[in-house]
Amino acid sequence: MDAYLVAILTTAAIYVILALALNMQFGLTGLMNFGVVGFYGLGAYSSGIMTETLGQPIVMGMLAAMIVGGTAGALVSLLSIRLSGDFLAIVTLGFAETMRLAFNNEDWLTRGPRGFLIMTRPVLEGLGRDATAWFILGVFLLVAAVVFVVFNRLAGSPFGRVLRSIREDDLVPATLGKNVLAYRLKAFVLGSSVMALAGSLYAHYVQTVTPDNFTTQVAVLVWMSLIVGGAGNMKGAVLGALVVTAIYEGTRFLAPLMEFLTPTQVSALRFIIIGTLLIVVVRFRPEGLLPERIVARPAARDPAPG
Amino acid sequence: MQLILNAIASAAVLAPAAIGFTLIFTLFRYTNFAAGALMTAGAFAAWQMNDLGLPIWLGGICAVAFASGLLMLSDRVVFEPLRGRSGGTLLLVSIALSVIIDNVIRFAYGTQIRAFDLPLRPPLTYAGLRFTPETLSVIGISVVATLAVGALLAFTRLGRALRAVADNPSLSSIRGLPVPRIEAAGILLAGALFGLSGTLAGLDLAIEPNLSWALTIPVIAAAIVGGLGSPLGAALGAVIIGLAEELTVAFISAPYKGAVGFVVIALVLLLRPQGLLGRAVERK
Repeated sequence: MDAYLVAILTTAAIYVILALALNMQFGLTGLMNFGVVGFYGLGAYSSGIMTETLGQPIVMGMLAAMIVGGTAGALVSLLSIRLSGDFLAIVTLGFAETMRLAFNNEDWLTRGPRGFLIMTRPVLEGLGRDATAWFILGVFLLVAAVVFVVFNRLAGSPFGRVLRSIREDDLVPATLGKNVLAYRLKAFVLGSSVMALAGSLYAHYVQTVTPDNFTTQVAVLVWMSLIVGGAGNMKGAVLGALVVTAIYEGTRFLAPLMEFLTPTQVSALRFIIIGTLLIVVVRFRPEGLLPERIVARPAARDPAPG
Repeated sequence: MQLILNAIASAAVLAPAAIGFTLIFTLFRYTNFAAGALMTAGAFAAWQMNDLGLPIWLGGICAVAFASGLLMLSDRVVFEPLRGRSGGTLLLVSIALSVIIDNVIRFAYGTQIRAFDLPLRPPLTYAGLRFTPETLSVIGISVVATLAVGALLAFTRLGRALRAVADNPSLSSIRGLPVPRIEAAGILLAGALFGLSGTLAGLDLAIEPNLSWALTIPVIAAAIVGGLGSPLGAALGAVIIGLAEELTVAFISAPYKGAVGFVVIALVLLLRPQGLLGRAVERK
């Protein structure tokens, strides 16, 4: 039970990082990235290739993931960032599907559907099994905390304020002489590289990555986290990720109660629940559990965090 | 030549759905990502009827009716209360809807791959081209349906009303058009087109829950290439996507067929954002 709890918390930490990254893109800047899994998977494989194929230490893997994820983010967003939100959504979704195809078919690099084995772990040598699990959890929580602190600061900074104003109406910041395109690009690249970092952590945690780990359903979970928690609010993103992980992992316990269902049916049922909840939240509480708070005073030196 | 025939077959599957997608887009200004899921639902409806012993054409009619009803239902339950919300919100909701429909199908039918119960007939050869009778009927049905919908939109009162409502709902309402009823007709028509495409996809490919995402992107790509809002453009876009897919299979690598939609969208957005036949519109 203890080990199970640690495993759930570790997964939750990954979702927290993904939700924070998406919050930077969508919550603050209004950029609709449905290709979360594309960047996530890219990070996982980049990191794996760096540590396993090239034999570099794990820090290099994480760095490689962030660089590759950020570069891909820049290229994808440059395609469509000047156009309206829908196009970005379509392009990113197409990007994610294309990446999955590439993971599946470029056997020489990713070992395809058989899975990429990753032996490198983010731990010290010589720890026992339980201690290793706890150590990994600690590392993940540390990364999540760092991402949270940095993004929360950014959200409250002048940079974050420009992003919010772009989200509300990009004409206003443009009139004030802000380079809207550059800000959008920065927000997107920042988010994408952090998604790739989450992918790197995930890869070194589960130790086998297959293209099936990176389907759109994962992106739906991340979106769900952000919408439930409250888009635009970094604390909301964290809370949302925890709630969604709790729902998703919690429904696992329902499986023994419904023995007449096959595993496929149980998994399908979980996604039916998640999808329905998402629609219900959008309809009845679009601002999420922790709504974004914006201080109205124009001269406020430092708006309320988050 | 064989390649062109294959491309036309792919296009025939995509075209009705791309028209349905563009219809929904022009009426309500949102990108409905549930297109693939509705098509898959249609394919399964047709398969279910076929499995119960009905002939395939009757199954197809059931699929058309089923997808039409399903889109209507989802509009009433999900989209109608959200009218006026941003396109992004509706887009997110349509993805959630797609996840729900996909998983309901998975729940009911499992992940097994299915096919219609068709009599085995030898492929025909004509002028060095090999094709199955199914391919021929897929192309035929799709061409007829596409032309029929085109004629409906261009020449009938309903078509004119649909175009008027798509263009400016409040003005149409002032002019005395029953806007909600016309919108409902548009939804039913779009749903029927999704159902038809789904059945054709079932004839041409295999029927499985994973079909959904494999169909959504090429359908949306076809609509974008043709210029969102232009039914003729959507049909033309379907031909271009079909051709690009077949060229990819022939000259690059078959598994990357699925990436074609993405690449074509990227190219169109770079070179001609309004699409081939679309007008440059202020979109927000």
